[in-house]
Amino acid sequence: MPRSMPDSTILLKAAIKYLEEELMPTLDAYHRFKTRVTANALNIVRRELELRDDQAIAERVRLAALLGHEGDVEALSTELAERIRTGAAPLDQPGLREHLRQSLADALAINNPKWLTR
Amino acid sequence: MSGDNFAEKLPLAVARHIGAPGTIHDLQRLTGGANKTTWSFDADVGERQRFILQMSSIPLTAEPDPLAGVSPHLTAEEDAALMQAAVKVGVPAPRVRAVLDPADGLGSGYVTERVDGETLATRILRDDRYAAARKVMTRQCGEILATIHTIPLADAPFLKRFDPAELVAAQRKILAYRGLHLPALEWGLRWAAEHAPKNPRVTCVHGDFRLGNFIVGEEGIRLLLDWEIGQAGDPMQDLAWVCVKTWRFGGPKPVGGFGTREELFAAYEKASGHRVDPAQVRFWEAFGSVKWAVGCLGLGTRGVEEMNVERCAIGRRTEEPLWDFYNLIEGRD
Repeated sequence: MPRSMPDSTILLKAAIKYLEEELMPTLDAYHRFKTRVTANALNIVRRELELRDDQAIAERVRLAALLGHEGDVEALSTELAERIRTGAAPLDQPGLREHLRQSLADALAINNPKWLTR
Repeated sequence: MSGDNFAEKLPLAVARHIGAPGTIHDLQRLTGGANKTTWSFDADVGERQRFILQMSSIPLTAEPDPLAGVSPHLTAEEDAALMQAAVKVGVPAPRVRAVLDPADGLGSGYVTERVDGETLATRILRDDRYAAARKVMTRQCGEILATIHTIPLADAPFLKRFDPAELVAAQRKILAYRGLHLPALEWGLRWAAEHAPKNPRVTCVHGDFRLGNFIVGEEGIRLLLDWEIGQAGDPMQDLAWVCVKTWRFGGPKPVGGFGTREELFAAYEKASGHRVDPAQVRFWEAFGSVKWAVGCLGLGTRGVEEMNVERCAIGRRTEEPLWDFYNLIEGRD
Protein backbone atom coordinates (compact mmCIF):
# COMPACT_ATOMS: atom_id res chain seq x y z
CA MET A 1 0.00 0.00 0.00
CA PRO A 2 1.49 3.36 -0.97
CA ARG A 3 1.97 5.69 1.94
CA SER A 4 1.87 9.43 2.00
CA MET A 5 4.75 11.43 3.21
CA PRO A 6 5.64 12.43 5.89
CA ASP A 7 4.82 9.42 8.04
CA SER A 8 1.92 9.80 10.50
CA THR A 9 4.23 9.47 13.51
CA ILE A 10 6.32 12.37 12.20
CA LEU A 11 3.15 14.47 11.75
CA LEU A 12 2.22 13.76 15.35
CA LYS A 13 5.72 14.61 16.58
CA ALA A 14 5.53 17.96 14.79
CA ALA A 15 2.06 18.67 16.21
CA ILE A 16 3.21 17.79 19.76
CA LYS A 17 6.29 19.97 19.36
CA TYR A 18 4.07 22.93 18.47
CA LEU A 19 1.75 22.31 21.45
CA GLU A 20 4.58 21.92 23.94
CA GLU A 21 7.12 24.44 22.74
CA GLU A 22 5.01 27.24 21.25
CA LEU A 23 1.42 27.04 22.50
CA MET A 24 1.83 25.96 26.14
CA PRO A 25 4.03 28.89 27.25
CA THR A 26 1.28 31.30 26.15
CA LEU A 27 -1.53 29.65 28.15
CA ASP A 28 -2.98 30.08 31.63
CA ALA A 29 -2.59 27.29 34.17
CA TYR A 30 -5.85 25.50 33.29
CA HIS A 31 -5.26 25.39 29.54
CA ARG A 32 -1.57 24.61 30.00
CA PHE A 33 -2.61 21.55 32.02
CA LYS A 34 -5.24 20.50 29.47
CA THR A 35 -2.76 20.98 26.63
CA ARG A 36 -0.17 18.87 28.43
CA VAL A 37 -2.81 16.13 28.80
CA THR A 38 -3.64 16.49 25.10
CA ALA A 39 0.03 16.28 24.03
CA ASN A 40 0.36 13.20 26.23
CA ALA A 41 -2.66 11.61 24.48
CA LEU A 42 -1.05 12.31 21.10
CA ASN A 43 2.19 10.75 22.32
CA ILE A 44 0.26 7.59 23.25
CA VAL A 45 -1.13 7.45 19.71
CA ARG A 46 2.36 8.00 18.28
CA ARG A 47 3.89 5.17 20.32
CA GLU A 48 0.97 2.90 19.45
CA LEU A 49 1.57 3.53 15.74
CA GLU A 50 5.27 2.79 16.21
CA LEU A 51 4.99 -0.31 18.41
CA ARG A 52 1.62 -2.00 18.20
CA ASP A 53 1.95 -3.95 14.92
CA ASP A 54 5.02 -5.83 16.10
CA GLN A 55 3.53 -6.33 19.56
CA ALA A 56 0.32 -7.79 18.08
CA ILE A 57 2.25 -10.33 15.99
CA ALA A 58 4.08 -11.62 19.07
CA GLU A 59 0.93 -11.49 21.20
CA ARG A 60 -1.02 -13.58 18.68
CA VAL A 61 1.71 -16.26 18.76
CA ARG A 62 1.62 -16.37 22.58
CA LEU A 63 -2.20 -16.50 22.67
CA ALA A 64 -2.39 -19.27 20.07
CA ALA A 65 0.07 -21.32 22.15
CA LEU A 66 -1.95 -20.79 25.34
CA LEU A 67 -5.34 -21.52 23.73
CA GLY A 68 -4.25 -24.25 21.32
CA HIS A 69 -5.71 -22.66 18.19
CA GLU A 70 -5.16 -19.78 15.79
CA GLY A 71 -7.27 -16.64 15.46
CA ASP A 72 -7.42 -12.88 15.42
CA VAL A 73 -5.49 -11.30 18.31
CA GLU A 74 -8.52 -9.47 19.76
CA ALA A 75 -10.74 -12.54 19.59
CA LEU A 76 -8.05 -14.74 21.13
CA SER A 77 -7.50 -12.24 23.95
CA THR A 78 -11.23 -12.06 24.71
CA GLU A 79 -11.36 -15.86 24.73
CA LEU A 80 -8.45 -16.02 27.18
CA ALA A 81 -10.13 -13.45 29.46
CA GLU A 82 -13.27 -15.59 29.43
CA ARG A 83 -11.33 -18.78 30.19
CA ILE A 84 -9.64 -17.11 33.15
CA ARG A 85 -12.93 -15.68 34.42
CA THR A 86 -14.79 -18.98 34.29
CA GLY A 87 -11.89 -20.96 35.72
CA ALA A 88 -11.38 -22.99 32.51
CA ALA A 89 -7.78 -21.73 32.53
CA PRO A 90 -6.03 -22.43 35.85
CA LEU A 91 -4.22 -19.41 37.30
CA ASP A 92 -0.97 -21.38 37.25
CA GLN A 93 -1.27 -22.59 33.64
CA PRO A 94 2.33 -22.68 32.31
CA GLY A 95 3.17 -19.55 30.38
CA LEU A 96 -0.01 -17.72 31.39
CA ARG A 97 1.41 -15.24 33.87
CA GLU A 98 4.43 -14.60 31.63
CA HIS A 99 2.02 -13.80 28.78
CA LEU A 100 -0.06 -11.43 30.96
CA ARG A 101 3.04 -9.60 32.17
CA GLN A 102 4.40 -9.27 28.64
CA SER A 103 1.07 -7.88 27.43
CA LEU A 104 1.04 -5.37 30.29
CA ALA A 105 4.63 -4.37 29.56
CA ASP A 106 3.67 -3.88 25.89
CA ALA A 107 0.69 -1.69 26.84
CA LEU A 108 2.82 0.36 29.25
CA ALA A 109 5.48 0.84 26.56
CA ILE A 110 2.71 2.63 24.64
CA ASN A 111 0.69 4.30 27.42
CA ASN A 112 3.34 5.28 29.97
CA PRO A 113 6.84 3.81 29.45
CA LYS A 114 8.12 5.51 32.62
CA TRP A 115 5.95 3.23 34.78
CA LEU A 116 8.08 0.22 33.81
CA THR A 117 11.16 1.64 35.49
CA ARG A 118 9.55 3.19 38.56
CA MET B 1 -27.72 21.12 41.06
CA SER B 2 -27.46 24.78 42.04
CA GLY B 3 -30.55 26.59 40.84
CA ASP B 4 -30.65 30.23 39.77
CA ASN B 5 -31.38 31.35 43.28
CA PHE B 6 -28.55 29.34 44.88
CA ALA B 7 -26.95 32.63 45.97
CA GLU B 8 -30.22 33.64 47.69
CA LYS B 9 -30.91 30.32 49.33
CA LEU B 10 -27.45 29.63 50.77
CA PRO B 11 -27.46 32.57 53.25
CA LEU B 12 -30.94 31.55 54.43
CA ALA B 13 -29.73 28.00 55.02
CA VAL B 14 -26.62 29.22 56.85
CA ALA B 15 -28.70 31.58 59.03
CA ARG B 16 -31.18 28.79 59.78
CA HIS B 17 -28.66 26.07 60.68
CA ILE B 18 -25.60 27.95 61.94
CA GLY B 19 -26.33 31.56 62.81
CA ALA B 20 -27.82 34.87 61.61
CA PRO B 21 -27.48 36.90 59.48
CA GLY B 22 -25.73 34.30 57.30
CA THR B 23 -24.31 36.83 54.84
CA ILE B 24 -21.98 35.04 52.39
CA HIS B 25 -18.55 36.29 51.32
CA ASP B 26 -15.99 34.91 48.83
CA LEU B 27 -18.12 32.07 47.49
CA GLN B 28 -15.83 29.96 45.29
CA ARG B 29 -16.43 26.70 43.49
CA LEU B 30 -13.45 24.47 44.31
CA THR B 31 -14.21 21.24 42.45
CA GLY B 32 -17.09 19.86 40.49
CA GLY B 33 -17.19 16.13 39.98
CA ALA B 34 -19.88 13.88 38.59
CA ASN B 35 -21.17 13.08 42.08
CA LYS B 36 -20.60 16.21 44.09
CA THR B 37 -19.59 19.87 43.98
CA THR B 38 -17.44 21.59 46.60
CA TRP B 39 -17.70 25.27 47.45
CA SER B 40 -15.68 27.44 49.79
CA PHE B 41 -17.14 30.52 51.47
CA ASP B 42 -17.04 32.76 54.52
CA ALA B 43 -20.23 33.72 56.34
CA ASP B 44 -21.32 36.14 59.05
CA VAL B 45 -22.86 33.92 61.70
CA GLY B 46 -22.45 36.29 64.65
CA GLU B 47 -18.79 36.50 63.68
CA ARG B 48 -17.20 35.81 60.32
CA GLN B 49 -16.35 32.11 59.96
CA ARG B 50 -14.91 29.96 57.19
CA PHE B 51 -16.86 27.08 55.68
CA ILE B 52 -16.93 24.36 53.03
CA LEU B 53 -20.18 23.38 51.31
CA GLN B 54 -20.42 19.94 49.76
CA MET B 55 -23.42 19.37 47.50
CA SER B 56 -24.55 16.09 45.95
CA SER B 57 -25.59 16.23 42.33
CA ILE B 58 -29.18 15.44 41.52
CA PRO B 59 -29.29 12.36 39.26
CA LEU B 60 -30.14 13.38 35.70
CA THR B 61 -32.58 10.52 35.17
CA ALA B 62 -34.90 8.56 37.38
CA GLU B 63 -33.49 5.31 35.98
CA PRO B 64 -32.03 3.14 38.70
CA ASP B 65 -28.25 2.89 38.48
CA PRO B 66 -27.62 -0.75 37.55
CA LEU B 67 -24.58 -0.76 39.82
CA ALA B 68 -26.26 0.96 42.80
CA GLY B 69 -25.37 -0.73 46.07
CA VAL B 70 -22.78 -3.00 44.47
CA SER B 71 -19.95 -1.12 46.15
CA PRO B 72 -20.01 1.20 49.19
CA HIS B 73 -21.37 4.71 48.81
CA LEU B 74 -22.98 6.96 51.44
CA THR B 75 -25.64 9.62 50.98
CA ALA B 76 -24.70 13.19 51.98
CA GLU B 77 -26.66 12.76 55.22
CA GLU B 78 -24.87 9.50 56.08
CA ASP B 79 -21.51 10.98 55.12
CA ALA B 80 -22.11 13.88 57.53
CA ALA B 81 -23.26 11.53 60.30
CA LEU B 82 -20.14 9.39 59.88
CA MET B 83 -17.89 12.46 60.17
CA GLN B 84 -19.75 13.44 63.36
CA ALA B 85 -19.21 9.93 64.78
CA ALA B 86 -15.53 10.17 63.80
CA VAL B 87 -15.04 13.56 65.49
CA LYS B 88 -16.69 12.13 68.62
CA VAL B 89 -13.92 9.52 69.06
CA GLY B 90 -11.15 12.01 68.23
CA VAL B 91 -10.53 11.52 64.51
CA PRO B 92 -9.45 14.74 62.69
CA ALA B 93 -12.54 14.68 60.44
CA PRO B 94 -14.32 17.80 59.15
CA ARG B 95 -16.63 19.36 61.74
CA VAL B 96 -20.17 19.36 60.38
CA ARG B 97 -22.07 22.59 61.06
CA ALA B 98 -25.16 22.05 58.90
CA VAL B 99 -26.84 19.21 57.05
CA LEU B 100 -29.09 20.60 54.33
CA ASP B 101 -32.73 19.52 54.41
CA PRO B 102 -35.64 19.90 51.97
CA ALA B 103 -36.70 23.21 53.58
CA ASP B 104 -33.39 24.72 52.38
CA GLY B 105 -34.33 24.03 48.76
CA LEU B 106 -30.69 23.34 47.86
CA GLY B 107 -30.75 19.57 47.47
CA SER B 108 -28.57 17.20 49.51
CA GLY B 109 -25.35 18.39 51.07
CA TYR B 110 -23.66 19.68 54.18
CA VAL B 111 -21.55 22.53 55.51
CA THR B 112 -18.31 21.90 57.41
CA GLU B 113 -15.73 24.19 59.03
CA ARG B 114 -12.94 25.05 56.62
CA VAL B 115 -9.39 24.11 57.62
CA ASP B 116 -6.33 25.61 55.92
CA GLY B 117 -3.56 23.48 54.51
CA GLU B 118 -2.24 21.62 51.51
CA THR B 119 -3.96 18.68 49.79
CA LEU B 120 -1.82 18.51 46.65
CA ALA B 121 0.25 15.32 46.97
CA THR B 122 3.23 16.47 44.93
CA ARG B 123 3.72 19.54 47.15
CA ILE B 124 3.32 17.54 50.36
CA LEU B 125 5.89 15.01 49.12
CA ARG B 126 8.44 17.46 47.70
CA ASP B 127 8.23 20.95 49.24
CA ASP B 128 10.79 21.72 51.98
CA ARG B 129 7.96 23.36 53.86
CA TYR B 130 6.47 19.93 54.64
CA ALA B 131 9.76 18.21 55.59
CA ALA B 132 8.83 18.06 59.29
CA ALA B 133 5.29 16.92 58.43
CA ARG B 134 6.63 14.03 56.33
CA LYS B 135 8.56 12.77 59.36
CA VAL B 136 5.43 12.41 61.51
CA MET B 137 2.72 11.58 58.96
CA THR B 138 3.30 7.82 58.96
CA ARG B 139 2.86 7.61 62.73
CA GLN B 140 -0.19 9.88 62.42
CA CYS B 141 -1.67 7.59 59.78
CA GLY B 142 -1.35 4.61 62.13
CA GLU B 143 -2.92 6.52 65.00
CA ILE B 144 -5.75 8.05 62.95
CA LEU B 145 -6.63 4.65 61.48
CA ALA B 146 -6.58 3.01 64.91
CA THR B 147 -9.04 5.67 66.09
CA ILE B 148 -11.32 5.36 63.03
CA HIS B 149 -11.49 1.63 63.70
CA THR B 150 -12.88 2.32 67.19
CA ILE B 151 -15.93 4.24 65.89
CA PRO B 152 -18.83 2.24 67.36
CA LEU B 153 -20.84 0.71 64.51
CA ALA B 154 -23.91 1.55 66.60
CA ASP B 155 -23.06 5.25 66.05
CA ALA B 156 -23.13 4.69 62.28
CA PRO B 157 -25.85 2.04 61.83
CA PHE B 158 -26.26 3.00 58.15
CA LEU B 159 -22.78 1.64 57.26
CA LYS B 160 -23.21 -1.36 55.01
CA ARG B 161 -21.08 -4.37 55.76
CA PHE B 162 -18.90 -5.55 52.91
CA ASP B 163 -16.96 -8.77 53.40
CA PRO B 164 -13.70 -9.12 51.44
CA ALA B 165 -15.27 -11.59 48.99
CA GLU B 166 -18.18 -9.19 48.37
CA LEU B 167 -15.79 -6.34 47.58
CA VAL B 168 -13.99 -8.57 45.05
CA ALA B 169 -17.32 -9.66 43.55
CA ALA B 170 -18.35 -5.99 43.25
CA GLN B 171 -15.37 -5.22 40.98
CA ARG B 172 -16.23 -8.28 38.91
CA LYS B 173 -19.82 -7.00 38.47
CA ILE B 174 -18.61 -3.52 37.49
CA LEU B 175 -16.31 -5.04 34.87
CA ALA B 176 -19.07 -7.27 33.50
CA TYR B 177 -21.40 -4.27 33.30
CA ARG B 178 -18.80 -2.41 31.26
CA GLY B 179 -18.52 -5.41 28.94
CA LEU B 180 -14.73 -5.42 29.02
CA HIS B 181 -12.50 -8.47 28.67
CA LEU B 182 -8.95 -8.02 29.85
CA PRO B 183 -7.02 -11.21 30.64
CA ALA B 184 -4.58 -9.56 33.10
CA LEU B 185 -7.48 -8.00 35.02
CA GLU B 186 -9.53 -11.24 35.07
CA TRP B 187 -6.49 -13.05 36.44
CA GLY B 188 -6.14 -10.41 39.18
CA LEU B 189 -9.80 -10.66 40.14
CA ARG B 190 -9.66 -14.44 40.36
CA TRP B 191 -6.47 -14.26 42.40
CA ALA B 192 -8.23 -11.80 44.74
CA ALA B 193 -11.30 -14.05 45.05
CA GLU B 194 -9.04 -16.98 45.99
CA HIS B 195 -6.94 -15.01 48.49
CA ALA B 196 -9.61 -12.84 50.18
CA PRO B 197 -9.30 -12.99 54.01
CA LYS B 198 -11.85 -15.21 55.70
CA ASN B 199 -13.65 -13.89 58.78
CA PRO B 200 -11.55 -10.78 59.45
CA ARG B 201 -12.26 -8.37 62.29
CA VAL B 202 -15.09 -6.02 61.32
CA THR B 203 -14.87 -2.31 62.13
CA CYS B 204 -15.81 1.02 60.66
CA VAL B 205 -13.62 1.51 57.56
CA HIS B 206 -12.88 4.89 55.94
CA GLY B 207 -12.46 3.32 52.50
CA ASP B 208 -10.48 6.12 50.83
CA PHE B 209 -7.65 6.73 53.31
CA ARG B 210 -4.77 8.04 51.19
CA LEU B 211 -2.61 11.02 50.32
CA GLY B 212 -4.79 13.47 48.41
CA ASN B 213 -7.50 13.14 51.03
CA PHE B 214 -5.35 14.65 53.79
CA ILE B 215 -5.17 18.37 54.56
CA VAL B 216 -1.56 18.80 55.64
CA GLY B 217 0.15 21.63 57.48
CA GLU B 218 3.81 22.11 58.36
CA GLU B 219 3.24 20.10 61.56
CA GLY B 220 1.54 17.13 59.86
CA ILE B 221 -1.95 15.85 58.95
CA ARG B 222 -4.64 18.30 60.03
CA LEU B 223 -7.76 16.78 58.55
CA LEU B 224 -8.97 13.61 56.86
CA LEU B 225 -11.45 14.23 54.04
CA ASP B 226 -13.75 12.19 51.79
CA TRP B 227 -15.75 9.87 54.02
CA GLU B 228 -18.36 8.99 51.41
CA ILE B 229 -17.31 5.39 50.84
CA GLY B 230 -17.29 4.56 54.52
CA GLN B 231 -18.35 1.00 55.27
CA ALA B 232 -18.12 -1.79 57.83
CA GLY B 233 -15.45 -4.33 57.00
CA ASP B 234 -11.87 -5.53 57.43
CA PRO B 235 -9.90 -2.59 58.91
CA MET B 236 -6.69 -3.82 57.27
CA GLN B 237 -7.89 -2.46 53.92
CA ASP B 238 -7.41 1.09 55.24
CA LEU B 239 -3.75 0.35 56.07
CA ALA B 240 -3.24 -1.00 52.55
CA TRP B 241 -4.99 1.65 50.41
CA VAL B 242 -2.58 4.39 51.57
CA CYS B 243 0.27 2.17 50.26
CA VAL B 244 -1.13 1.49 46.77
CA LYS B 245 1.52 2.74 44.38
CA THR B 246 -0.78 5.12 42.51
CA TRP B 247 -1.33 7.00 45.79
CA ARG B 248 2.42 7.40 46.37
CA PHE B 249 2.39 10.02 43.59
CA GLY B 250 5.93 9.09 42.61
CA GLY B 251 7.24 9.31 46.19
CA PRO B 252 9.98 6.81 47.08
CA LYS B 253 8.45 5.07 50.12
CA PRO B 254 5.50 2.67 50.34
CA VAL B 255 3.19 4.57 52.73
CA GLY B 256 1.85 7.44 50.64
CA GLY B 257 5.31 7.95 49.17
CA PHE B 258 6.58 9.21 52.55
CA GLY B 259 6.81 6.30 55.05
CA THR B 260 7.61 2.66 55.63
CA ARG B 261 5.07 -0.08 56.21
CA GLU B 262 6.94 -1.14 59.36
CA GLU B 263 6.49 2.30 60.92
CA LEU B 264 2.81 2.41 59.93
CA PHE B 265 2.09 -1.04 61.35
CA ALA B 266 3.99 -0.32 64.58
CA ALA B 267 2.09 2.95 65.14
CA TYR B 268 -1.22 1.19 64.43
CA GLU B 269 -0.43 -1.71 66.74
CA LYS B 270 0.61 0.61 69.55
CA ALA B 271 -2.48 2.79 69.22
CA SER B 272 -5.03 0.02 68.62
CA GLY B 273 -3.69 -2.93 70.60
CA HIS B 274 -4.40 -5.10 67.52
CA ARG B 275 -1.62 -6.98 65.76
CA VAL B 276 -1.16 -6.28 62.05
CA ASP B 277 -0.65 -9.26 59.75
CA PRO B 278 1.55 -7.87 56.93
CA ALA B 279 0.36 -10.63 54.56
CA GLN B 280 -3.26 -9.59 55.08
CA VAL B 281 -2.40 -5.93 54.37
CA ARG B 282 -0.49 -7.09 51.30
CA PHE B 283 -3.65 -8.83 50.03
CA TRP B 284 -5.56 -5.56 50.35
CA GLU B 285 -2.77 -3.63 48.66
CA ALA B 286 -2.78 -6.11 45.75
CA PHE B 287 -6.57 -6.08 45.53
CA GLY B 288 -6.53 -2.28 45.84
CA SER B 289 -4.37 -2.15 42.71
CA VAL B 290 -6.87 -4.34 40.84
CA LYS B 291 -9.74 -2.19 42.10
CA TRP B 292 -8.02 0.97 40.89
CA ALA B 293 -7.45 -0.66 37.48
CA VAL B 294 -11.24 -1.17 37.27
CA GLY B 295 -11.63 2.45 38.39
CA CYS B 296 -9.37 3.67 35.55
CA LEU B 297 -11.46 1.72 33.05
CA GLY B 298 -14.64 3.27 34.45
CA LEU B 299 -13.24 6.81 34.25
CA GLY B 300 -11.98 6.07 30.73
CA THR B 301 -15.46 4.91 29.71
CA ARG B 302 -16.93 8.14 31.11
CA GLY B 303 -14.28 10.02 29.14
CA VAL B 304 -15.51 8.40 25.94
CA GLU B 305 -19.12 9.34 26.74
CA GLU B 306 -18.11 12.93 27.47
CA MET B 307 -15.37 13.12 24.77
CA ASN B 308 -13.11 14.45 27.52
CA VAL B 309 -9.41 13.99 26.79
CA GLU B 310 -8.35 14.02 30.45
CA ARG B 311 -10.79 11.26 31.41
CA CYS B 312 -10.00 9.28 28.26
CA ALA B 313 -6.32 9.39 29.20
CA ILE B 314 -7.13 7.89 32.62
CA GLY B 315 -8.49 4.84 30.79
CA ARG B 316 -4.99 4.42 29.36
CA ARG B 317 -3.60 4.18 32.89
CA THR B 318 -5.35 0.87 33.58
CA GLU B 319 -2.17 -1.16 33.11
CA GLU B 320 -0.20 0.83 35.70
CA PRO B 321 -1.92 -0.58 38.82
CA LEU B 322 -2.12 -4.01 37.17
CA TRP B 323 1.65 -3.98 36.67
CA ASP B 324 1.99 -3.02 40.35
CA PHE B 325 -0.36 -5.88 41.27
CA TYR B 326 1.88 -8.51 39.64
CA ASN B 327 4.97 -6.97 41.25
CA LEU B 328 3.26 -7.10 44.66
CA ILE B 329 2.16 -10.73 44.50
CA GLU B 330 5.63 -11.70 43.31
CA GLY B 331 7.06 -10.10 46.45
CA ARG B 332 8.61 -7.11 44.71
CA ASP B 333 8.07 -3.73 46.38
